[in-house]
Amino acid sequence: MNSKLEHEAEPASGDERAEIDALIKSLYEVISFDQGGEPDWARMQLLFSRHARITRITPDGTDYLDLAGFLEFAKESFEIGVYTRFFEIEVLRDERRFGGLAHVLSAYETRHTPSASEPFARGVNSLQLIREDETWKVLSLFWDEERVDNPLELETLFDRGEKHVQIDT
Amino acid sequence: MSKLTRERKNKTVNRILEEARSSGLVCNRAESGNGPKCTIGGRVLSNFGSCSYMALETHPALRAGATAALEEYGTQFSFSRAYLEAPLYGELEAALDTIAGRPCLVAASTTLAHLAALPVLINDDDVVLIDQFAHASLHMATELLKGTVVERVRHNRLDFLEDRIKAYSKAGRAVWYLCDGVYSMLGDFAPFAALRELLERYPQLHLYIDDAHAVSWIGKYGRGVALKELGDSERVVAALSLNKAFSGAGGALALPSEALRRRIRNCGGTMVFSGPIQPPMLGAALASAKLHLDPSFEALQHELHERIRIAREAIVRHALPVATEDWTPICMVQFDSAERARRTVNEIMARGFYCCYSAFPAVPMDRPSVRFTLSRHNDLNEVARFVETLAEVVRPRVAQNAAAAVAF
Repeated sequence: MNSKLEHEAEPASGDERAEIDALIKSLYEVISFDQGGEPDWARMQLLFSRHARITRITPDGTDYLDLAGFLEFAKESFEIGVYTRFFEIEVLRDERRFGGLAHVLSAYETRHTPSASEPFARGVNSLQLIREDETWKVLSLFWDEERVDNPLELETLFDRGEKHVQIDT
Repeated sequence: MSKLTRERKNKTVNRILEEARSSGLVCNRAESGNGPKCTIGGRVLSNFGSCSYMALETHPALRAGATAALEEYGTQFSFSRAYLEAPLYGELEAALDTIAGRPCLVAASTTLAHLAALPVLINDDDVVLIDQFAHASLHMATELLKGTVVERVRHNRLDFLEDRIKAYSKAGRAVWYLCDGVYSMLGDFAPFAALRELLERYPQLHLYIDDAHAVSWIGKYGRGVALKELGDSERVVAALSLNKAFSGAGGALALPSEALRRRIRNCGGTMVFSGPIQPPMLGAALASAKLHLDPSFEALQHELHERIRIAREAIVRHALPVATEDWTPICMVQFDSAERARRTVNEIMARGFYCCYSAFPAVPMDRPSVRFTLSRHNDLNEVARFVETLAEVVRPRVAQNAAAAVAF
């Protein structure tokens, strides 16, 4: 599904909307890497507030991490070879903004290669963004994955009759 | 490794194995003898999962060696080798010296050989760079090197390796690169030509190569690929397996000097405090070593090489997505999802062949695979038929997925 849904709780200026869009795109870019590469650790840090929390629900437990803890865990996982390539793309987005805060619900698909016939995982990233030093940063990144007992029904989750617009990806 | 990474890894591994177990793919128990066929769940399957590449475990000479040693010495010789060793040890090490072309020290397993050798070979001020996909036993052995810097480096990426060697060379530190000769899961060789160049360029570089999966089937007398390619270097140590293709028991360190053999024998913890290989399997190992030194052995190697050729050519013909094109007896067919790899193994088994499902941590999360191995147990037609069957099972799925992708 190559579309995004953007909910406009408060009209955002074109610049701010573009800035949030760029932040979300950057987030997916920095965590994706091809064989022989690695996540862009340095750029990743720039996207987060220094007060950021990262929370991941997995079949094996929930991790509550600060940015340093998340980076340590992610780097170690990379070093021990958990993944040798990883491509995550956004497939749908719901976005609301008020003043210096924004909430983004971002559905994703994860593939081993961009051309892989099907994703090996799907899920939803819940992001809280904060306007900090005149730029948008991630204050909270929180995600859960689709499982047999946790099916991801995109239209139900993202389209509850609220106003949304479709954006090219 | 941090507490979180260790805990998460353990939980993830447990979950993945439980899923595979419930699909009937792991922790199975064979219901028949060893060799060309194995029986699982009442089904007699052609065996494409064994690491006995040379198929020597049922060779009459090895059976006779084990039986004779059993009759002579009983089931065990219960001493630490630091005090007293069984008579067969001397004969076995002498035969291995000839096979390897350098002094060899036998250990009760390849893992125990690593555990004995690394703390003796590597000093606190040295640096260890280890390939991320080196065998788990090597990674485990580095845990003993408490005061030593240990860094993982990307698989077979000698450009990264060289950068690290350069960085540490400035400080005048010895650098040990730990890797496999043939990687047990991906089935690829270490990049030996490039490693030789690095050895020539950096005098402080040393290599420790776990060559367990290359013993017997490659190299003069079956000495393995590490010694075949780099055996002339005094800065290379190879760890050999006397199990797998060798079909005996234990492991061995092929060392550049007699002095080093004595030092590891004296100081290696597991050389002193772990039990020995017991007489029947020492007898089998010695018989296997003699067989390796026999002029007829090369013909046995060629028999396996022919099976590898048939399989590898068929893999290319069918465009199966394998991890490597290196001509080794370990073949990994990679999938986009673990579920697809599991279904494929189940279907292959339903068609009468045994092969293995490979998932994390044996392979990375993004490389769920079907692993199959080739051995002299498989007859030539059977090898061709197996790859044909695998292609039949894999290909329709690929086509079906392509259609689904278009519709989506």
